Amino acid sequence: MNRRGFLQLVGATGVAALTASCNRINSVVGSLSSPTNLIRFPEKTEMILLTDRPPQLETPLHYFRQDLTPNEAFFVRWHLEGVPTSVDLRTFRLNVSGHVRQPLRLSVDDLRSQFEPVSIVAVNQCSGNSRSFFEPRVPGGQWKHGAVGNAKWTGVPMKSILDRAQVRSGAVDVSFNGLDVPPLPSVSDFVKALSIDHAWDGEVMIAYAMNDQPLPLVNGFPLRLVVPGWYGTYWVKALSDITVLPRAFSNFWTDKAYRIPNAPNGTEPPKDLAKDTIPINRFNVRSIFVRPDPDEIVHPGTLTEIEGIAFDSGYGIRRVEVSTDGGATWADARLDPEIGKYSWRRWRASWTPRSSGQYRLMARATNAVGDTQSKEQWNRSGFMWNVIQQVDVKVG
Amino acid sequence: MTSKTKSLVLSLGLAALLAGCGHPSNTSKEADHRIADAKMESMLDSMPDSPVHTIVMPHDEPVFPPGPGRDEFVTACVVCHSPRYITMQPRFSRTTWLGEVNKMKDVYGAHISDEQVQRITDYLVSINGKAGTGRAPKGAYGE
Repeated sequence: MNRRGFLQLVGATGVAALTASCNRINSVVGSLSSPTNLIRFPEKTEMILLTDRPPQLETPLHYFRQDLTPNEAFFVRWHLEGVPTSVDLRTFRLNVSGHVRQPLRLSVDDLRSQFEPVSIVAVNQCSGNSRSFFEPRVPGGQWKHGAVGNAKWTGVPMKSILDRAQVRSGAVDVSFNGLDVPPLPSVSDFVKALSIDHAWDGEVMIAYAMNDQPLPLVNGFPLRLVVPGWYGTYWVKALSDITVLPRAFSNFWTDKAYRIPNAPNGTEPPKDLAKDTIPINRFNVRSIFVRPDPDEIVHPGTLTEIEGIAFDSGYGIRRVEVSTDGGATWADARLDPEIGKYSWRRWRASWTPRSSGQYRLMARATNAVGDTQSKEQWNRSGFMWNVIQQVDVKVG
Repeated sequence: MTSKTKSLVLSLGLAALLAGCGHPSNTSKEADHRIADAKMESMLDSMPDSPVHTIVMPHDEPVFPPGPGRDEFVTACVVCHSPRYITMQPRFSRTTWLGEVNKMKDVYGAHISDEQVQRITDYLVSINGKAGTGRAPKGAYGE
């Protein structure tokens, strides 16, 4: 086989791009048919590759057997080509400005030394986690269930920052910008906002550590906004600029993107799309099977441990029911002790299949306010998937 | 392996792209080499005492077959994102692909002319389309 490689570089002189000339044509279908393509990014372990530029990397399911997702395996999702690849802590500053009396410029050392640190264990989940399971299929990152992770975040409460900056009366929103930049001037910079009340609630925080270590660069080093119970789109990475606004924040990423139907569980019919939409916000309730593995063979008459995780936006998981007969009968799973209200909670069930054959396992979580999972759900953007998961297991 | 396909992208703002070609990029040997490369980069990058934290992003971009619209696709689309944004999608109808290209132009701000929109759509349908005129998920921003 002729393994000639081509190296072509385009200078930083504009938007010109080159096409590669090939002595042998690869069918793009080859990559489409590849079920799992693993890649290793700096500071990361082997992750499931969705896209390499900007990176979208999914966590392999077996990492969810751990309560805290290792930093090196935590999912990655950037929006813009201009992902920061170098941060100099000597010059990096977190800027706090806008509708405040005392604008701030804080180094990471300032945050570590001048504020009382707080820690919280919280799930971060991509809005589009599990998108590939929607029918009809929708465009976007074709995640399976691995665009989620649970970590211990340590840093400074956003409230402490706002207090020091002395927010003026009449503040409405607080916007958050990171070091990432658009590939073209015409593309909107990725900036998100929270209401002043939300930003000031004492729970939203700026994390400089993740599982007691600095964040990997692709997970937002040196600072990441942590918004417990809310979808990952608000967890701005490489956070560098906080602006307090005396008006509602408005940009592409809040006005047009990351919106859900203003309907129960963000659901709409494919043939009658909702006209009324709102920004995506808190997690709904969901559970994810961790074992058995999808391709694991279970033996009849053998005790088999079933395990999974469940979480919601902070009310707390109170019940998980498991079915091993496709939903005909359900039994309560055992819940591990709660780690924290924004953490996921592990559940377990024991199962001894009596005979060989195909079995369909299902799990349904319910939280403290009675929210549970449904059998059907769809929206045009493929957000908030929380359909009762089905895992088909071969016993033999 | 005496030589191998290698993709590199300068992290210099708008600079983009090169596509490696010559053999499929999904063979296990290739993957091993890619992992080895990334490991080496990680080692070079890790200087715990340095206040400067730097990484080098690996790239793994599929090669696209020739066809009408390929040049427009490569010029207008790949400058901002990896072609994996196409290859990870299921096969969509022309209506859906047209909606995606228009979204990139009108909403995200890609520099694409109306004529290029049609050519790019033709190409996307040819490589990852499906028959029929499925309903376009209009207004869907597939974040």
